[in-house]
Amino acid sequence: MQIFKLSRKSLGIPYGIFLILFVVLPLLVLFYFAFTNGQGHFTLANLSDFFTDPNTLGTLFYSFAVALVTTALCLLLAYPAAYFLATSSLKQKEVLLLLFIMPMWINFSLRITALKEILTVIEGNLARYPFANAVVGMTYDFLPFMILPIYNTISRLDPSLIEAAKDLGANERHAFLKVTLPLSMPGVISGIAMVFLPAMTNYVVLDMLYNSTYIMGSLIGSYFSAYNWHGGSMIALILLAIIILFTILTGTDQDDRASGTGGALL
Amino acid sequence: MKRIKKLSLLILTGFLLFHTLPYETPGASETTAGSKPASSGAQTDETTGAPVTLRICNWEEYIDLGDWDEEDTIDLESGDIIGENSMIDDFESWYEETYGRKVNVEYSTFGTNEDLYNMLTLGDVYDLVCPSEYMFMKLMTENSLVPLSDAFFDETDDNNYYIKGVSPYIRNIFDNHTINNERWSRYAAGYMWGVTGIVYNPDVLTREEASTWNVLGNPKFKRQITIKDNVRDSYFAAVGALKSDLLTNPDFTSAPDYVQRLEEEMNDVTPETIARVQDYLQDIKDNLYSFETDSGKADMITGKVLANYQWSGDAVYTMDQADEDDYTLNFAVPKESTNIYFDGWVMLKDGINGSAAKQHAAEAFINFCSRPDNAIRNMYYIGYTSVISGGEDGRIMEYADWSYGADEDETAAADYPLGYFFSGDPDDEDYILTVPVSQLDRQLSAQYPSEEAISRSSIMICFDPEKNEAINQMWIHVRCYNIHDVPAWAWVLTGGAAAVLTGIWLHRRNRRRLYL
Repeated sequence: MQIFKLSRKSLGIPYGIFLILFVVLPLLVLFYFAFTNGQGHFTLANLSDFFTDPNTLGTLFYSFAVALVTTALCLLLAYPAAYFLATSSLKQKEVLLLLFIMPMWINFSLRITALKEILTVIEGNLARYPFANAVVGMTYDFLPFMILPIYNTISRLDPSLIEAAKDLGANERHAFLKVTLPLSMPGVISGIAMVFLPAMTNYVVLDMLYNSTYIMGSLIGSYFSAYNWHGGSMIALILLAIIILFTILTGTDQDDRASGTGGALL
Repeated sequence: MKRIKKLSLLILTGFLLFHTLPYETPGASETTAGSKPASSGAQTDETTGAPVTLRICNWEEYIDLGDWDEEDTIDLESGDIIGENSMIDDFESWYEETYGRKVNVEYSTFGTNEDLYNMLTLGDVYDLVCPSEYMFMKLMTENSLVPLSDAFFDETDDNNYYIKGVSPYIRNIFDNHTINNERWSRYAAGYMWGVTGIVYNPDVLTREEASTWNVLGNPKFKRQITIKDNVRDSYFAAVGALKSDLLTNPDFTSAPDYVQRLEEEMNDVTPETIARVQDYLQDIKDNLYSFETDSGKADMITGKVLANYQWSGDAVYTMDQADEDDYTLNFAVPKESTNIYFDGWVMLKDGINGSAAKQHAAEAFINFCSRPDNAIRNMYYIGYTSVISGGEDGRIMEYADWSYGADEDETAAADYPLGYFFSGDPDDEDYILTVPVSQLDRQLSAQYPSEEAISRSSIMICFDPEKNEAINQMWIHVRCYNIHDVPAWAWVLTGGAAAVLTGIWLHRRNRRRLYL
């Protein structure tokens, strides 16, 4: 029994080592660089530089804008699709779902290369709509990440809840607005988290679709190729802080939801 | 259990310390390696005759990897040349045959000079690398290179293909350019070289329109031209465009110290110029199709863009590929000035580490790549131009004629003197190619720029760290979205959205308190 207990705990060791090697240690290095200058002395200049430079702030704003519009577009496309999929009585539901997931099996840079040609046909000259290209490219890339969680939550909803709502006199629209929509929010929120944050840094899409404006990802890269590891590390940390903040905000919401389903119904 | 935790933590902390040391002070690793006594490694290597390992890091797709089709054979009169095996395998067998010792080449590649530098700083160890001139200048100032041996420059040794075959023009440049009073040639042996220019579609752009850096800002070709996503190339082009009037002024070009003044003007990094370059690049950003990293060649061939800022070797490749689709592209060297660049082999102290055997193998590799047939194989395979002119061996000139020479029945032929490169004398009659007139605007003009284009070339030096930082900052500013450019409606929208979201959040929180 003793041995069994020990070995069960030690199952976590491989992942622990992985975590330390590839997450914790690099983070420490990141912290070290972010708060030092070229001479290795402690400094907060990298932090204040970020918040006083109109260009870095502008990049933050631009990244937010790209991510926000991408997320909104993903949500608009994904929710109806997921709802339809989850509630339809189609026998081939699984096949349909597979169709949505299938693009994820193909490397995204290949997909974007294909998209580039499609957009060129539609727009004529890609360079005319750099912002739209970025948004379309990211939506193309991240849509499955929005569909899946929403589909999962909706398909797990107990149909009797809707029936109960209808028994109590709600019409289709009311049943959806008062029951399905609130109860599917956890899926929507995790979908947003899956799309919004990566969209802030996914600069490869912009590069490949000829948007020459930096977003957070390319900004960090540019600092490193300019040998400014200190500034680059600081921006990476700031991004990390934003991600943590975002996770806390959405996370607490979800916890409440899990325990308070009844509240949502009212 | 606890003990295991502690132990693994200890090991990992040790690992962290060990590995971050070189990060903290990029200079430190060089000095420690440099001051290591050269004795031990060298002696054992020398006496045992054990295989030598040579770690080479070169640009991606920058060497012949062999496996050519039969039809690719270069059938010179002096004999066929074909790449059957990769240059690296051929070198390994040649070295063993010639020097009776096994050499084991570990070949890897890098994408940009900056990547290479970061790799070296992070602790990757190589013996022989091939950066561009400004990067080996930087490595020279940081004292991380091993000088080439005296034996390497011995012209009486039959196997010293580099010194016997290097173009007098290139040799002159490597001998006369210095940094911190050290000649390039002491540390670096040339590999490939070229100039920058514009590849363009001659159906749409006239040669005159394409032969200036101002084409980048020409509203006539709005969103139809790409340039390099690279601060140094963009900087050079911007300076060329901004100073166009001065640089093309006959008083300036005919001045006795023109060459020197041109180099000064093109390497002008005063704060005022940097500011003007930033404004200029920000202005033309909307006029350009994009800043491209590696899509430029393909976009040019598929006709997505009309003109593209290119390095001459890539220009040759682009024109070759377009030719295969019966699509004609031309190359123009801007009238203001062109950036002449050199990629050169240098040996790293960290890697060589005092081993004479390693240094011997590294220098032999440079020589092997400089052997005229090998230089031709590399040129044919990658499209760039070797610094080797062959010396007494006539095959390089023969190859130029094989590639570009006019057929006997060619009606529109022109003379193309290449004496400046092959013999050091621009008027040397032994080195005049007779070529179809079309080649004056095409591959030939990129592979071997004319004497006239070369006369307005300028190298771009390695700027001191402070200036370098200023230029890099300038570039980041060009590429970033300025917060002051955010339109008012966007601010209103953002504010509105934030207010609504906070409202919803607060509302829900309160509600939750009520029901839970």
